[in-house]
Amino acid sequence: MENPIWGNSIFRKKKKEDDILTLLKQVPIFSDLNRKELAEVEKIVHRRTYKKKETIIKMGDPGLGMYIVVKGSVEIATEEGKGEKSALAHLTEGSFFGDLALLDESPRSASAFALEDCNVIGFFRPDFLDLLYRKPKLGIKVLFALAKTIGERLRRTDELLMKTQEKKSKTHHG
Amino acid sequence: MDKYTYELYSQLLKTSWKVFLIILGIALMVILFPYAKDVLIMFIIAWLLSVLLSPLVDYLESKRVSRGWAILIVMIIILALIALSFSLIIPGIIRTVEALTTKLQSDVINELSVKTEAFFEKNFNNAELARNVTAKLNEIGVNLLNSLGEFFKNVGSFLASMVIVPVITFFLIKDSRRFKRAIISQVPNKYFELSLNILHKVENQVGKYIQGQTIDALIVGILSTIGLFLINVAFEWPIQYFFFIGMLAGLANLIPYVGPVVGAIPALIIAILNNPPNLGMVLIWIVVMFILVQAIDNSLVSPLVVSKSVNMHPLTVIVVVIIGGKIAGAIGMLFAVPLTGIIKVTLQQVIWGLKKYSLHSISPLKEDSFLNPKGGEAA
Repeated sequence: MENPIWGNSIFRKKKKEDDILTLLKQVPIFSDLNRKELAEVEKIVHRRTYKKKETIIKMGDPGLGMYIVVKGSVEIATEEGKGEKSALAHLTEGSFFGDLALLDESPRSASAFALEDCNVIGFFRPDFLDLLYRKPKLGIKVLFALAKTIGERLRRTDELLMKTQEKKSKTHHG
Repeated sequence: MDKYTYELYSQLLKTSWKVFLIILGIALMVILFPYAKDVLIMFIIAWLLSVLLSPLVDYLESKRVSRGWAILIVMIIILALIALSFSLIIPGIIRTVEALTTKLQSDVINELSVKTEAFFEKNFNNAELARNVTAKLNEIGVNLLNSLGEFFKNVGSFLASMVIVPVITFFLIKDSRRFKRAIISQVPNKYFELSLNILHKVENQVGKYIQGQTIDALIVGILSTIGLFLINVAFEWPIQYFFFIGMLAGLANLIPYVGPVVGAIPALIIAILNNPPNLGMVLIWIVVMFILVQAIDNSLVSPLVVSKSVNMHPLTVIVVVIIGGKIAGAIGMLFAVPLTGIIKVTLQQVIWGLKKYSLHSISPLKEDSFLNPKGGEAA
């Protein structure tokens, strides 16, 4: 165990930062960034801690940005009044959610709750826009990766929609 | 004591503790304000400067200059400009105002008094009334110029003593994001997104407002200077120091409704004191020029550069200017309207946020839903 008096806090901090950079690198929208660029992103993200059952984002609230799960797990669910919900996904370490809010302030389409005590990193639109202006080269890399992620999701949604329509038409004709 | 009563008591205790702390905080602020006033004003000026300079720093940063260097370059340019204005403009203005005060106290006022007395005696046949009127006019004139002189002396010594302002400005620009993150990290989760969103929106709007006001003041200053220069050319230089007076008019323009009138007064006084042969025409042209500048400002400049979100009722402007003057003298009067604008924008955003965000900290969902979450597609 490290001696609390003689232990070097600078190295400990460095190691923590390295962990965060490694985690950021795993997120698709930051995967093309080099270490220096990741360090720039690290300067503008917010670290938050949520207790079990705590709401991270609420369905219907204005979207502000995305979250990356660092530790713990998060449930994404839609709410239909009086506490009724339908869970959409169960996210663990390294997963992210709310990335569409990086583009505009549209209301959140689902809520996110902490399933256990968890640490998350928040990356928000105003900081992203500021980054795009100050560091255009870096900002464009993130923007392009975000476009690819959303495009990929749209493609999957299209495929699902086509499959559902095919199923429907088969049932109809059958 | 049952569980419910115990929880109620503990909640009540927590709330009263919070209320006590808030009251204590407000009381401390009120008690410490007279001592901290100067520091506070320094911070406000440094903050205003940081808001004004940040876009330039960001621009240089976007051109691949490192942030530290970008701040240094901008600060050196600004400090050089401030030093230049100190060595050239401020002493000049103080000398002018002092000379004018002496002149006003001596011959010109007497001349004007005799003329006014004669006018009243001729038209109203009342020498007593004439003497009263001229005495009052004399008092107002001297007071006005004295206060103007004091204003510049105060500004001069105040700014000269503030070597520290550039240092504060440097760190405010360099570490603004770090400060913002540190503040926002203390906000409870329930209010986190709401606070962050409001903070960004307020920062954005306030930045635009301050930058807009400064550009507007600068344009009005330049237009007034050009106008006064043209009058000087046409009427054999009846207005000395036209550059300072023009720029002063631009500065006064920061105070809506009141500013444009205040801006015109020094030019009129100087013209009267110089008493050129065609004084009437000069005065008319000065008034016409200032009206023209205001017309151009209101129809062309303001709509383009000044944010609409901070429009204020004339009555509000008058009240806040008086309060600003009471708190911090001439500087207070100058900054009263912009600061009220900032408070207005902040309140607007807070109200917007409270309307838009549903402030739930704990999920309304049942416990078992957390134990057995259903799987599904990613949101």
